[in-house]
Amino acid sequence: MPPRAIKAILEGRRSQPQQLIEVLQDVQADYGYISEEAMRAVAEGLGVQPLEVYRVASFYKAFSLKPQGKHVITMCTGTACHVRGAKLLLDQAQGQLGVKPGDMTDDGLFTIAHVNCLGACALGPVVTENGASHHHMNPGRLRKLIDNLRKEEKAEVSHD
Amino acid sequence: MLQYVTINMDGALLRVAKGTSVLDAALEYGVCIPHLCHVPNLSDMGACRLCIVEHVVNGKAKVTTSCTLRVQEGMVIKSNTDKIQRLRRNIAELLVAEAPNSRAIQDIAARCGVKTVRYPFRNEKCVLCGRCVRVCKEMFAANAIGFVGRGKERRVASPFGKLSEFCKRCNTCLEVCPMTITPCAGPMKPGEEYLCNKCESQLMEIASAPDQCFFCDLGEGFQCSRH
Repeated sequence: MPPRAIKAILEGRRSQPQQLIEVLQDVQADYGYISEEAMRAVAEGLGVQPLEVYRVASFYKAFSLKPQGKHVITMCTGTACHVRGAKLLLDQAQGQLGVKPGDMTDDGLFTIAHVNCLGACALGPVVTENGASHHHMNPGRLRKLIDNLRKEEKAEVSHD
Repeated sequence: MLQYVTINMDGALLRVAKGTSVLDAALEYGVCIPHLCHVPNLSDMGACRLCIVEHVVNGKAKVTTSCTLRVQEGMVIKSNTDKIQRLRRNIAELLVAEAPNSRAIQDIAARCGVKTVRYPFRNEKCVLCGRCVRVCKEMFAANAIGFVGRGKERRVASPFGKLSEFCKRCNTCLEVCPMTITPCAGPMKPGEEYLCNKCESQLMEIASAPDQCFFCDLGEGFQCSRH
């Protein structure tokens, strides 16, 4: 689905500052991140200062101010996952993709993130890829997962 | 018409207008409560925690910041007990460890009786007191800078890291900033931070006459007489 224009998101909610978080959630859902232009447009549409929009967007972890890759790989670094080697997974992903947590690879395919607990401690270490959980991960399986995702992407590109 | 309430501050009965904060009442009557983030005529946010007092409710003392505590009829406040002094010294110690590169903060540390700093010096440029943010928002209605981020990423910033179009370039944010007052011996280099404590001798006089306000030179820009 192509992202809706900011105008369409703001439809029916103009000049209602209390709708700020809902509008930002919609922008986040449609674009995957919140750009500076989007924030300025939202500020103008809702009649709040750009600073307020920036403050709210930077406060909540649900909002991303940087573009997100097509595949967001989230490492659980909670206690249970940590003692079972979540650090190794993070190192593996960073080494393989060459980016720091929170950043996107240059080809726009991957973003690495880490969270404190996914609530599946018995299955740790847990890694989620766009919401799909992978349990009992180790660096080897994570490498294969990333390689497979890359391969699929390449196949899609050549197929097109 | 102004309504007045009577509060009990360290045993003295003060008659103050309803709606003022305990800190304002204390300063008006010359009770020295150290403070950093309080600016007269601006809202208080209780960021620096230096102005803590004991609020006695039903015989139990509750420690709270006096700047965010409104006066009530018959409330009992203790501003200078041993417990408060100990807590305040620790808060000042943390503050001076966070940002030693400011005369205002060094003075506050001296005034609160900090003798040694047990925490590593960090030489930060901002203590997040929010003076600039509130003066910009409330006095100049510009809202050009504000708190951004959460937790340890919290910082004062302008929208998107660029100068806001609402900024009036009045520089009041710099004027009220405690970090723009350099230490007497000049700015400290990273790795060479120290606790100044050279104004300690002046504090002897305050200790010898605890019930008087000396209109001290300590904490210039932040002292009680000038707020």
